[in-house]
Amino acid sequence: MSVQARNNVVIKGQGPLTLVFAHGFGCDQNMWRLVEPTFAKHYRTVLFDMVGCGNSDVSAYDIDKYSTLAGYADDIVEIIQEFGEGPVVFIGHSVGAMAGAMAAKRSPGLIGAHAMVGPSPCYITDADYPGGFSRDDIDALLATLESNYLGWSSAMAPSIMGNPEHPELGVELTNSFCQTDPDIAKRFARVTFLTDSRADVRELREPVLVIQSSDDFIAPKAVGQYLTEAITDCRMVVIENEGHCPHLSQPAACIGAIQTFLTQTCGRLHA
Amino acid sequence: MTAEPDAEALYQQAPCALLLTNEKGLILQVNQTFCHWLGYTREQLIGVRKLQELLTVGGRIFYQTHWMPLLVMQRSIAEVKLDFLTADGKVTPMVLNASRRDHNGGVFDEISAFIVADRIRFEQELLQAKRQAEDALQRHVALEHELNRQRELAVDRALFAEQMIGIVSHDLRNPLQVVSMAAQYLRSLDMSERQSAMLGHISDATARSQRLINDLLDFTQARIGQGLAVSRAPVQLDRAIAAAVDSLRLLYPQRTIVFSASDEALFCQADADRLAQLLGNLVSNAMTYGDGTTPIEVRVAAAQGAVEITVHNQGKAIDEAQLSSIFSPMTRGSEAGREVRSVGLGLFIVSEIAKAHGGIVEVVSSAQAGTTFTTRFPAYASAGH
Repeated sequence: MSVQARNNVVIKGQGPLTLVFAHGFGCDQNMWRLVEPTFAKHYRTVLFDMVGCGNSDVSAYDIDKYSTLAGYADDIVEIIQEFGEGPVVFIGHSVGAMAGAMAAKRSPGLIGAHAMVGPSPCYITDADYPGGFSRDDIDALLATLESNYLGWSSAMAPSIMGNPEHPELGVELTNSFCQTDPDIAKRFARVTFLTDSRADVRELREPVLVIQSSDDFIAPKAVGQYLTEAITDCRMVVIENEGHCPHLSQPAACIGAIQTFLTQTCGRLHA
Repeated sequence: MTAEPDAEALYQQAPCALLLTNEKGLILQVNQTFCHWLGYTREQLIGVRKLQELLTVGGRIFYQTHWMPLLVMQRSIAEVKLDFLTADGKVTPMVLNASRRDHNGGVFDEISAFIVADRIRFEQELLQAKRQAEDALQRHVALEHELNRQRELAVDRALFAEQMIGIVSHDLRNPLQVVSMAAQYLRSLDMSERQSAMLGHISDATARSQRLINDLLDFTQARIGQGLAVSRAPVQLDRAIAAAVDSLRLLYPQRTIVFSASDEALFCQADADRLAQLLGNLVSNAMTYGDGTTPIEVRVAAAQGAVEITVHNQGKAIDEAQLSSIFSPMTRGSEAGREVRSVGLGLFIVSEIAKAHGGIVEVVSSAQAGTTFTTRFPAYASAGH
């Protein structure tokens, strides 16, 4: 099976620098619909779905491989090796950003810089780390995922149609977007919320941008603050936004932050 | 005078919760039903609380990872189950529909919700049952795997044992041959009557051991080799069998063996030595299990391009249960006891000899008619035999 088919890799823009966009837990590459097109004008843009999500090849879902973040990181290494040109800028949302950090560690030199949207290296609070959640909270999420199982197939396809005045959102995605095999969703949730990537981010040497929402229940500000201290070369941009998906709710601010970051780091990437 | 129910009453008292929020989830309108279900007043909610703040932590994460992106991308969402917390902290599961609308430059979400406590219990039972079924399936698969493994082990052990039998039998032939030749040599010497009797025992025992070893070698050849070796040549069957019967009469002088054949000479292609062995095994079987006071009848006949050798004895019928496995190795008559000379290979070898001639052997047994073994094979070997 090709890497392209396995991860539903889509190449959009053309340019001297490759930007790889990784989605987080919940949905698929369509999460980047309001951000990626701007970059496609000047950069080679690569989008993909994590195996088990979106239009990836579900038959490639290997329970053992994807029971840890390393399975996803290995896929990212293969995607960059095949579709990236030179060191790429890896733009990851949430757990996608952590998979990128792990990929950078496993295959140094592939990723020249990281832009992380709403990242958290660890969701569970411990003595000197403010993750924000307890193990019980994560178990409650797993239960919510499971209880949405029975209605899943119909739940995610809207039986009540939204307003037609937003054609840019497209109709074609309504049936696949956010639709995941419930079993895989639960396993991915476990990987997402129970992985501790703090050691990985401490080892990052590439320039890192953290896009932090002012009010993010899942990745609170204290976590962003932790990252700026843990990562050698890190800058944080706080966006006035409520929720975990600023690339959906505040796309312009996200685009601005990433553009600034690219201008700052591009010279170094080409050096 | 009756008051007409109005739209406001319908909205407030509807049998489902109705909410209007802004795109950040802040509650702008809410009906009585929702307030009542969660134990809040309108004042405590409107303009104060966000929808997601009323959820359990698991629900809030789900809201962020699924609900919000879906509403932004699809502008509507249906049948999502979320756990709400009542004012006094009780978990209340609800199923929600929502649709997003633009109005006067603002973005609003319209939401309806139902409590689904009973349905959730039902779904939990279904999930529980599904999990149990999956566990059972997993155990079943594991068990099947283990059975297959054990079976392979058993087959390996059996094959090893059969090869062992072959090797040991083969290796026993030489020392037996020496014993047999030495006994023959002793026969030429003068000896006492007692010594001569002892020598007779040695010769008998050696001959029996040699027969047993030949059976074992045939058995291993049939089981793990390319089948029993036969070399077919033109044979006049009635004569060959008559000669074999004569030798058997010498071997069993105390019993009567009656031989009959059709009038005309019966030609076929067969291995005469193997047929004598076949007949010997069948007659020996009849001696062991049949009625000792009645004759054993041997008959050869032609049957539509095939030839038949039948061996018949009177006596007790063979068990129904035993008939089905009578030609398998290590099977022997239940009442025969321990003094029976073979390990139960005789009839197995009979069927292998029949098979090697492209034929079959059948048995019919009843108390009235006695027991008849019929061996039938084509008179002439087809190409390949």
